[in-house]
Amino acid sequence: MSDLELPLPLARTDGRWLRTAMPWVLAAAVAIVLPHVVPGGFGLSLLCRMGIAIIFALSFNMLLGQGGMLDFGHAVFLGLGGYLAMHAMRQTGWPVPLPLVPLIGGVGGLLTALAVGWVATRRAGTAFAMISLGVAELVVATVHLFPSFSGGEEGISGDRSNGPALLGHDFGPQIEAYYLIAAFAWVCALLMYAYTATPLGRLANAVRDNPERVGFLGYDPAQIRRVVFALSGLFAGVAGGLAALNDEIVTAAGLSPDVSGQVLLMTFIGGIGTFWGPIAGAVLITFLSIALSTVTDAWQLYSGLLFIAMVVWAPGGISGVLLAHVPLGRRLGSLVPSYAAVAPGLLLAIAGTVGLSELAFRLQAVRNGATPRPVLGFAADPGSVWPWLLTAALPVAGAVLLARTWPGARDAWRHASTPPSTPPGAQAGT
Amino acid sequence: MTALTVTGLQKAFGATKVITGVDLSVAAGERHAVIGPNGAGKSTLFHLISGRLRPDAGRVALGERDITGLRPHEVFNLGLARSFQVTSLFPQLSVFENLRAAAMRTHGCGLNFWRRLGSYGALRDRAEQLLVQIGLQERRHVPAGRLAYAEQRALEIGVTIAGGARTILLDEPTAGMSRAETERAVSLIRRMSEGRTLVMIEHDLGVVFGLADRISVLAEGRIIASGPPDQVRGDRAVRAAYLGDAAC
Repeated sequence: MSDLELPLPLARTDGRWLRTAMPWVLAAAVAIVLPHVVPGGFGLSLLCRMGIAIIFALSFNMLLGQGGMLDFGHAVFLGLGGYLAMHAMRQTGWPVPLPLVPLIGGVGGLLTALAVGWVATRRAGTAFAMISLGVAELVVATVHLFPSFSGGEEGISGDRSNGPALLGHDFGPQIEAYYLIAAFAWVCALLMYAYTATPLGRLANAVRDNPERVGFLGYDPAQIRRVVFALSGLFAGVAGGLAALNDEIVTAAGLSPDVSGQVLLMTFIGGIGTFWGPIAGAVLITFLSIALSTVTDAWQLYSGLLFIAMVVWAPGGISGVLLAHVPLGRRLGSLVPSYAAVAPGLLLAIAGTVGLSELAFRLQAVRNGATPRPVLGFAADPGSVWPWLLTAALPVAGAVLLARTWPGARDAWRHASTPPSTPPGAQAGT
Repeated sequence: MTALTVTGLQKAFGATKVITGVDLSVAAGERHAVIGPNGAGKSTLFHLISGRLRPDAGRVALGERDITGLRPHEVFNLGLARSFQVTSLFPQLSVFENLRAAAMRTHGCGLNFWRRLGSYGALRDRAEQLLVQIGLQERRHVPAGRLAYAEQRALEIGVTIAGGARTILLDEPTAGMSRAETERAVSLIRRMSEGRTLVMIEHDLGVVFGLADRISVLAEGRIIASGPPDQVRGDRAVRAAYLGDAAC
C-alpha cells in the first residue's frame, strides 16, 4: 500500500471506463445514422421493430440468462403494457405527451409482473416455468373476457400524433417514431446493463446458480426472484408501449404464447450467457421474421430449424460462438482453411433443406389452387419429380462433403483452442 | 453463556425416525464436534438447526432467541451460518464474486438496484481479505464450478464465514481431502473460528481430537455421549456405537 502503487489502479480504472463507454457511444452513433443508410419505409419500420425487440429480449434475459427463470409468458407484460399505453394514447381527457406513453406501458408491465410474480416466483426451475405458462394462458383468456378493454378480435387502435406536440414534433412521421424508439432502446439497454453490476443483479446470478445457498447467506431467494421479475416486467411493458405507438394498434395476439415463444427464440439464438447476446438475437430474428416473410411462407420453419441447430450445436448462441473465438487471437488465422473447407458442404446441406421445404410449401399452395410465387427467382413445378430429385441430391451431397471435412475443422478448433504452452505433442513427450 | 441450545429435537421422514430426541448445548466461543456413525442423523441435525428442515418437535435457541422453524435467511440474519457436506457454491460466479455475494447481507446490501456493487468499499475489502485467508488469490477470476475439489472446499468455508456470523456450523469440512489439504483446512478453521462458536460434523477423528473443545456423539438419532475429548474417548456407549455391541 505504498504511494507508488496508487496511480496504477487509477489509470486502469480510467481505461476500463473508456472500454465500457465505447460500445454505448458507438451504438448511439449507429442508431442515429442507420435510418439514413437503410433504404425506404420498409427498412425504417424494420428498424423500429428491432429497437422494440431489443428491449423485449433484454428484459427476457434478465430472467432467463441472469436469473435462471424460464418465463413462458413474457408476452403478457408486453401485451398488457401495450394495452395500457394505447388507452393512455387514445383518451382525450388528459393529453399525454407521446414520450411518456412507453413509460405508462412500463407501469402496466410492472403491475402485471408484480401480480404474476407473487405466484410464480415462489418456485424456481421447472415449477416456475410451468406456473408462468399457466398464468399466461389465464391472462390471455381473461383479456378476451373484457372486450371494452381489449377491443375483442380487432383490438384497439389509436393515433400517436393525438397528443400535444413537443417542440413542433407530433411524432406522426415514422422517422420521429423511430428516434423515440431508438432513444428508449438505448436508455433501457443501458439501465439493464447497469443493473447487472448492482447488488440485486449479482444476487440474481447467485439465485440462478444456487437458490438454496442464497437462503443461507441471509436473503430470501423468492423475494429476489420477485423483485427481478417485476423489473423485467417493467422493461417488457416499455417495449409494449413502444409497440403500441409504433403500430398504432394493440390486439390480444400481442400477448399470445406465440410472442412469448419468439422472445425465447431471439434470446437463446443470440446467447443467454452474455449481456449483448439477446440484442444480436433480437436483430437477427426480427430481420428473419419480417424480411424473410416477404420472400417465403416457410420462414417460421427456418427460424425453428435455426433454433434447433443452435440448441444442439451452439448452446451459447451467437454470442457464445463469437466469444469462444475471441481468446484465440492470432491463432484464429489457422482456423480459416479448415472452416472454409466445411463451408461448401454446409451450404449444400442448407440449400437442400431450404429447397425441399420450399417445394413442399409450393406443392401445398398448388393443391390449394393458388399460383405460388417464385422463390428467389426459381419457379420450379412441385408437381413433377425432377425438382424433388435434384433438390434432394443437394443435402445428400452436402452430408458427404461434411463427413469428410468436419473432422478436420474439429481438430483445427481443438488445436487452436489449446493454449500454445501445452501442445498435444509436448504433453506426450513428458 | 450458551450460544446454541437444542432441546428435545425430533424429526421423522415418513415412518423413519431420524432424530429421536436430541439435547445439545454449545457454550459461546466453544469448538464443538459432532461425531457418529453413518446415518446417525448428523446432517439432518444441522438442517434442523439452520432452518433447512422444520423439526416435528423440540426447540432450537440461538443465544436467548428461539429460532425453531425459522427459515434459513432468518436464521442467518440472527447470526448463524453453515456450510454443506456436498459443496454448495455459485458455480458460474468467480471465486471473488462468490465471496462478495456471501458477505453482502452483513455489509448493508439489500435488494439494491440503483447503486453499483463496486461502490461498496468495505464489502470489497472483506472479499479481498477472505480471498487471502482461504489462499485462493491466484484463482480469484476462476468460476467456482471449475475449481479443483480441495479449492472448492476451501471456498465453501470462505463463503460460510464471509458474513461474520457468531455461530458457525461446518458439515464435514475436510471430507475427501488429502492429508496435506486436511492440515491446511484445519489451520484455516482454527484461525477463522477464533472468538466464534463452532459446531462441526467430522469423520476424521484426528481432526476432531485436534480441534474440538467438546465432542458430542450422535447415534440412532440421539446424543449418546457429550463431553471433553478425553472423556468421550473412553466412553463405553461410544465404543458400542462405533464398533457394535460385541465390543462391550
